[in-house]
Amino acid sequence: MKPPRLFAAVPPLVLCCAVLVAGCGEETHTDPTPSGPVRTLTLGAYTTPREAYGKAIIPAFQRHWREQTGEEVRFEESYLGSGAQARAIVGGFEADVAALSLEADVETIAKAGLIQRDWRAGPHQGMVTRSIVVIAVRAGNPKGIRDWEDLGKSGLEVLTPNVRTSGGAMWNVCALYGAALRGGTSASKGDSASAETLLGAVLKNVRIMDKGARESIVNFEKGVGDAAITYENEVLVGRQSGQTYEYQVPRATILIENPVAVVDANAEKHGNRDLADAFVAFLATPEAQRAFTTYGLRPVDETVATEVQDQFPAVQDLFTIRDLGGWPEAIRTLFAPDGVYERVMASLRAVP
Amino acid sequence: MSRPTEIADVRRGRLALRSGVLIYAAVLVVLPLGALVQHGLVDGLAGLWRAATAPVAAQAILLTLWTATLMAVVNAFMGTLTAWALVRYEFTGRGLLSALVDLPFAIPTLVTGVMLVILLGPQSPLGGWLTALGVPVIFAPLAIVVALLFITVPFVVRAVEPVLLEQDPAEEEAARTLGAGTWTVFWRVLLPPLLPAILSGTIRSFARALGELGSVIVVSGNIPYRTLTAPIHIFGEIESGQPGGAAAVSVVLLALALLLAFAARGIERISGVHHA
Repeated sequence: MKPPRLFAAVPPLVLCCAVLVAGCGEETHTDPTPSGPVRTLTLGAYTTPREAYGKAIIPAFQRHWREQTGEEVRFEESYLGSGAQARAIVGGFEADVAALSLEADVETIAKAGLIQRDWRAGPHQGMVTRSIVVIAVRAGNPKGIRDWEDLGKSGLEVLTPNVRTSGGAMWNVCALYGAALRGGTSASKGDSASAETLLGAVLKNVRIMDKGARESIVNFEKGVGDAAITYENEVLVGRQSGQTYEYQVPRATILIENPVAVVDANAEKHGNRDLADAFVAFLATPEAQRAFTTYGLRPVDETVATEVQDQFPAVQDLFTIRDLGGWPEAIRTLFAPDGVYERVMASLRAVP
Repeated sequence: MSRPTEIADVRRGRLALRSGVLIYAAVLVVLPLGALVQHGLVDGLAGLWRAATAPVAAQAILLTLWTATLMAVVNAFMGTLTAWALVRYEFTGRGLLSALVDLPFAIPTLVTGVMLVILLGPQSPLGGWLTALGVPVIFAPLAIVVALLFITVPFVVRAVEPVLLEQDPAEEEAARTLGAGTWTVFWRVLLPPLLPAILSGTIRSFARALGELGSVIVVSGNIPYRTLTAPIHIFGEIESGQPGGAAAVSVVLLALALLLAFAARGIERISGVHHA
């Protein structure tokens, strides 16, 4: 993670090679494992939990499945931005399981007819991990940034990705605007005009809108900006890899929930229904939930949440997207062409 | 085998080749273009016009046009100079320079963007110095011009080079013998035959710049109305599930590129220059 930008182009290449190699190796590698049949499960995921899946959860599930059935499971993993992954799956990428950052992206797949069962029927309404939107600041917080309104102070430079290309950016705007609407900032409760003013003041300080949340935090790591609006897990993972930045939890912020669903049509086609269901169920087990927490993600499982409560600071006023009326409503009022966000951006066009 | 059948065979072969190439071009180029245009017209011409003239889109197209124009002007000048140096002078490192000219085509443009951020970012000495001077380059429109300059280096150089190679030194010598000064020789003898090549190379670099995404998206900052170019706008529209808006701006860029391609062809035909 040290010289990250240079290697931004590498993962896709490596992935391509890995897929090629995996594809080539398929025939030769099935033979030397005569202990049982080998099955292949394809996971289409967003990029954030890549390490958690690749290093911890997938190996654990492979063990678990072998013990239970004697079968070997080989995983084919693809990691893309959440929206791009959803579109890839709709466009014909035959993932058996989709692990995405936004409910709306799972809905995209469901609307295309590829998810036929109610994917919210699981124990946590189809969600496997959580995080919150926080403010990353430089070591020692030299600019004294504590809460949303501090980001609007003149002279600051703030990072947040482009809402058109990043689901994460939408979470950020919802967190800030929602916090203001709830009276979590100096704006009084329910005062949408003040909330819009605050959003404008913050966006005015944004000089770079990267295409994704990852690119945004990578730029922050390179020394760009005084603060970055980002996910808590991005900061925690960054700190694990030696970054010195810190984060501030705003008084009011939004709870991010990340869904996982079996892509029924593909699982059916590959004869993987049982395997895919088992994998999704495995993600809710304490073992998998704990693995997610080591990569900075908050668990959905209550027991594990109590175990790790020291790692994750409590939030005074934690709200969800449902408090903003749910995603369709939030997209309509905030991100539509005549929505709050576009209005604020248009009002800033004169700024040099 | 008798001669008439041989000729018939050759004719058939030519016909097959020509139709094969035409079909290839149709499948590879015309079909996708057609699909795009059709997609852009889902809401009719009025819808396309609306999407392409929405303030964000219009501003993005404008930014793309002026940054590409600035790049093209610099490129015309520096590209010609580079070609001149490569053809007219023997110097150490000439082979290296020639190889360097082609390098930008071989480097993924995304990598170009990454390099520029490393070089000019606020943490680098050069970037810090520029910021201190009050000329922030990276994450500002200037960064777009720099990225475009990098990725289009070969166009003008490689267009002008063959013409320079063909120039007969006798013309220049004759002019001098007749008493023309250095400037007169340059303006009246050397430059005129180069102009078509400079123009066509410049136009091609401009057309290439219109569509550049990979490097620009990394260096520009992508702020709507300020540093968001047309290709990034298109990318955003696709990513946010609005293919109609994406197709509309794409059609505008496509129309411009087509016009420019024809202009470059026209200039080449008139002057008999062939692009390398």
